[in-house]
Amino acid sequence: MFPMKKRTLTLSWVMKKMYHDRMYYLMFLPVFVFALLFCYLPMVGVLLAFFDFTPFKFKFVGLANFMDLFFGIRSVNFWRSVYNTLFLSLSNLALGTILAVSIALLLNEIEQKKFKAFVQSVLYLPHFLSWVVVASIFTIILSPQGGLINNIFAFLGKERIYFLAEEKWWTPIYLFVSRWKETGWGTIIYLAALSGINPELYEAAEIDGAGKWKQALYITLPSLLPTIIIVFVLNLGKVLNIFESVFVLMNPNVLKVSDVVSVFAYRTGIQQANYGMGTAIGLFKSLIGMSLVLITNKINERIRGSSIF
Amino acid sequence: MIHKRFLAITIAVALVASIFSSCSQGETAAKAKKVEKPTSISLMVDGTFLPKENGQDILVEGYKALTGIELVVNQPAHNEYYQKLNLAFSTGDVPDVVLLGSYAYASYGANGSLYDLTELYEKSSLKDRVKDPAIIEALKINGRLYGIPYERGNGTVTYVRGDWLEKLGLQPPTNYDEFINMLRLFKNKNPDGLKPDKVIPLTAAGLVNSEYPLDIYLREFYQDASPDFIKKDGKWIDGMSDPAMVAALKRMRDAYAEGLIDKEIITNKTSTCRDKFYSGVVGVFNYWAGTWNRNLALNIEKNNPQAKVTPIPAIKETKYIERPATVIAITKNCKNPEAVFKYFFEFLLDGDKGQTFATFGVEGKTYEIKDGMIQFLPSVQDPAKPFVKAWFSPELPVFDWNPAWKPTDERITNSLAIFQKDAVSYKVFPSSDTISQLLPELNTIKANYVTKIVYGTLSIEEGLAQYQKDAQKYVEAILAELAKVAP
Repeated sequence: MFPMKKRTLTLSWVMKKMYHDRMYYLMFLPVFVFALLFCYLPMVGVLLAFFDFTPFKFKFVGLANFMDLFFGIRSVNFWRSVYNTLFLSLSNLALGTILAVSIALLLNEIEQKKFKAFVQSVLYLPHFLSWVVVASIFTIILSPQGGLINNIFAFLGKERIYFLAEEKWWTPIYLFVSRWKETGWGTIIYLAALSGINPELYEAAEIDGAGKWKQALYITLPSLLPTIIIVFVLNLGKVLNIFESVFVLMNPNVLKVSDVVSVFAYRTGIQQANYGMGTAIGLFKSLIGMSLVLITNKINERIRGSSIF
Repeated sequence: MIHKRFLAITIAVALVASIFSSCSQGETAAKAKKVEKPTSISLMVDGTFLPKENGQDILVEGYKALTGIELVVNQPAHNEYYQKLNLAFSTGDVPDVVLLGSYAYASYGANGSLYDLTELYEKSSLKDRVKDPAIIEALKINGRLYGIPYERGNGTVTYVRGDWLEKLGLQPPTNYDEFINMLRLFKNKNPDGLKPDKVIPLTAAGLVNSEYPLDIYLREFYQDASPDFIKKDGKWIDGMSDPAMVAALKRMRDAYAEGLIDKEIITNKTSTCRDKFYSGVVGVFNYWAGTWNRNLALNIEKNNPQAKVTPIPAIKETKYIERPATVIAITKNCKNPEAVFKYFFEFLLDGDKGQTFATFGVEGKTYEIKDGMIQFLPSVQDPAKPFVKAWFSPELPVFDWNPAWKPTDERITNSLAIFQKDAVSYKVFPSSDTISQLLPELNTIKANYVTKIVYGTLSIEEGLAQYQKDAQKYVEAILAELAKVAP
C-alpha cells in the first residue's frame, strides 16, 4: 500500500479542510445543536446529585445522598432494586439474544417471500404497542376472574392462579411479555446480517455434505457473531434502564421482585419530590451502565482481538 | 439670644413632628398599598377546577368582570398536579394561590412555603360564618392556619346493591357479622342469578389507600385499626404495630380467602372498580359520598335498569372518615397576600355574589335562574349533561350561605347525609421535612406487607415480623419527628 503522506496538523489546514467540506458540516449542524442542547447540556443536571434538593430547600451536601442510598435508611430498598434490575435485564438480554437469533435463522429459511413478509409483520407488530396497552391486555388474559388462562385452568379442574400478584410467577410472566413484545423487532438486525453472508460458503458446505444444522453451526453463527456481540454490548449499556415495562405490570404484592432502579428513582425523585436523591440514583445507574459497556467491550477485545470502540 | 434659641427649639420640634407624621403617612400608605387591589392573581389548581375544554375561560372572564382582576390559571393534568406543584416550588415559579389536599398542605405548611393566614382569618367575616369550627381547627398546623377550606373534606361511604338487598329480603347490615353474611348471600345466592365465581361481593382499589388516610376504603374490615401513625394514650405509634391491626388483617385475610373480596383487589385501580361495578357483578363498593352516588347509579342503570345503588350507614364497629378539607392557600412568594386574601378568598366565600360565582359560575353561561332557583345549564364539554359545579361543590359548603339552589338529585343529598351522620373528622397529619421524605416510602412498604398477609403469601405473624424488620428505620425516624412536631 502507498504510505500516507505525513502532514503537520495546522489550524489553517483544518480550516481549509472544513471549508472544503462545508456542506457536510452544514448538514451536520442541526444534529450537533440538537445533541448539544438536549443530550449534553442537561448533563449539567447531574450536579443535583450532590445537593439536598426538594421543593423546600437547596443545599450542597456532597456525597450524603449516596451515603444514604448505599448505607442509610434507603439502602435495603435501593440494593434490592439494583439486584432486581440486573436480574430482570440480564435475563431479558440473554433470552432476547437467543430468541432473536433463533427466529432470525428460522425466518431466513422461509423461501416463500409473501409468507415470510407476513410472518415478519406479525412478529414486529407487538413492538409498536405501548406498554400500557400490553399490560392491560395481559392483565385481562391472566386475570384470576374470567381471564382466558384461568378459565382454561378451571375447565381442566385446576386451581386459578393470580399470576401477576404472585412473586414466583411475576418474573417469568414479565420476561414472557417482554419477549413477546420485543423479540420480533430484535430479529431485524440479525436478518440484515444474515443477508450479508456469502452464499458461496453455503454452496461449498453443501458440496462437502454439510446439512442445515452443520451449516448453521459452522457458517451462520460464526458469521453472525460480530453482530451478536455488537448488539449485546450496546444493549448492555441500557440494561439498567428498564422502567415502563415494570411500572405498568408491578403491584404492591410483588414489590420485592419487581422494584427496579428506575422505578425507585421515579418514586424518590418525582413522587416524593426528592430531586437530589433521584438524580443520585440516576447518576449511579449511568455509571454502572457505562462500566458494563466498557468492561464488555474490553473482554470482547481480549477474546476476539477487536472492539466496538 | 432667647429668640434664636426659641426658634431652634421650634424648628427641632417641627422637624421631629414631621418625621413622625411622615412615618405614619408611610404606614398608612403602606397599609393602603398592602390591600390595594392586585391587577392579577396567579392560581394553580387540579382537575376539580373547571377545565379549559369545559368552560374555564368563562370563569376567568367572569372573575374579571366581577373584580377587575385577571385570573391566571395553571391547571396541570389532575393525576400530575402534585408533581407539577412540587416542580413549581423547586424552580421558584410559584403562583400566588395554590390548591392543596391535606397531605400536601401539611407538608408545605410545616416547611414554611405558605403564608400564615391565622390573623387574616381571625379578623375576617369568614370566622363568624363557618358552619363547623372543628373543620378549621382540624387544619391548624402548630396552632396556625395556612389555608382556607372552600368545601368540606368529604369521604367515602359504602354503597350496596339495594335491589339485591330487596330481593334477598335483607336490611342494610348494622354490624360486621351481618355485613359478612350479606357478602356471602351476594356470592352464593345471587339475586341476579350470577354464578358464585362471577360475582364480586366487594371490590376496592387496593387494600391500603395510596395517601392519608390509608384506611379510608374497607372501613368494615379495618374498624378501629389503621395502618397510619396514630396517637394512642397520648403517644404516637405505628398503626401496624397496634394489636387492633392483627384483628383487621385477619378479617381481610379470611374474607379474601372465602372469595368475598375481589380477587383482583391487589391490581385494581379505582377506574377498574367502577367499571366492574357498572357491569353489575359487584355487590358492595366503598366510594365517595355525594355526586358519585348519582354517577354510579346512572352508569349501572345503563347495563341493568333495575339496579339500585344504596348508601348504607356505617356498621356499629366503625365510622366513616371525613378527610381534612382541601384548602386554597397563599404562597410565601405572593407579593400582596392581604389583597389576595381580600379579593380572592373573602370574595369567593362571601356568601353572596362571589360564592355564587365560585359555585355556580356565570349566569347565562353555566347556570340560569328558573322560578327563582339556580339551575345548571348544559356543559360546554358534553351538552347532553349539565354542569355540576363551577369550582366549589354546592353540596359541601364550609361557610354559611343560602343560595337559591336545591340539589336536583336526592341521591346526592341522601348519601351525604348518611356519610356525615356516621363520619369522624380527621385532622391534618403532622409533617416536617423528614416526615415528607420518609413517609411515602414507608407507606409503600405497608401496602406491600398488608397485601402479602391478606393474599396469603405470609401469615399475619410472619408478615408483621418482616414488616417490622424492613420498616424499622423509617418508623423510628418518623416517630422521633412526630414527637418533636406534634408532641
